[in-house]
Amino acid sequence: MIRIPCPHCSARNSAEFRHVGEAAARPDPSTVTPEQWRVYLYERSNPAGWITETWFHTMGCRRFITVERHTVTNEIRSVRPAGSSGPEPAEALSGRADAGSPDAGGQA
Amino acid sequence: MPDTWAPVARSAITVPGPRSVVDGWEVSTRRSSAALRLSDASPLAKVSVRADADGALADAFGVRFRSSRRRDGVLVIGSGPGEWLLVGGVGTAHQIAGQVCGLVAGDFVSVVDVTHGRALMRLTGSDASRALSKVCAVDLSDAVTPEGAAFRSSVAKVTTDVIRDDAGGGAGEPSYLLHCERSSGQYLFKCLLDAGKEFGIEPEGPGLDSTGAR
Ligand SMILES: [Zn+2]
Repeated sequence: MIRIPCPHCSARNSAEFRHVGEAAARPDPSTVTPEQWRVYLYERSNPAGWITETWFHTMGCRRFITVERHTVTNEIRSVRPAGSSGPEPAEALSGRADAGSPDAGGQA
Repeated sequence: MPDTWAPVARSAITVPGPRSVVDGWEVSTRRSSAALRLSDASPLAKVSVRADADGALADAFGVRFRSSRRRDGVLVIGSGPGEWLLVGGVGTAHQIAGQVCGLVAGDFVSVVDVTHGRALMRLTGSDASRALSKVCAVDLSDAVTPEGAAFRSSVAKVTTDVIRDDAGGGAGEPSYLLHCERSSGQYLFKCLLDAGKEFGIEPEGPGLDSTGAR
């Protein structure tokens, strides 16, 4: 279970989200080469470490968010609404603990 | 056959008990005096409104995401960023939509009557929070989810708008409104009855009288 501190809704179980994948900057379509476009579409860095990725909060605010997550420990160090620039201040991460028991997401 | 023909609406939720047609809705007239009650509130008018999250309409409502407020008998719920759900008396959806349109001029606003496309139920009783927390991971304590708080989350794996609305429960007890897609309504209703079994939960009809009020 990963607990994702949604910048709109507060901390929620990752089962409420759809994992969109690694966030990559879209190259300018008017100047991009086919090779660069192929890399943008298909190649992912897939590191064992920090990654910037996009999640969609399907069962909450229905917004895309940008998350910095460590792929080994699943620690999350920043969240922000997708499209906004700087990382969200630590406020959202400070464990406002809006989510209760991690396993209480549904009927057993 | 009567001379005039009127359509009869049915809720997605089936509540056992005698039935009658009130305000165009075929509803169960069953009432319960159990300590924990789950009532079908689907006949209430539901209007979905979308607009700029920080625009003129948000200011006119005075309601943002994660909160709710009663405004001229209509419960205005901030159900998402830039998204509101308005709940009012049976048959008032068009009236509510008209009022919303009158609040803003020049802004892009979408107003949709979703009364018949959604299910609405109310869980009331001193054990309401304990029963609901069996199927919902969000902290329901008074500190995190006080009166008037609203959020959308997974309730029994169904995407559900949850509104803490003790005032609307009318019994001076914790009360939650739960709003989901019509097709999930019966399932969610049964899941909540199942979760509330150990607290002696009983289902009941919407409790409509001839004025549509509770
Ligand atoms: Zn969210």
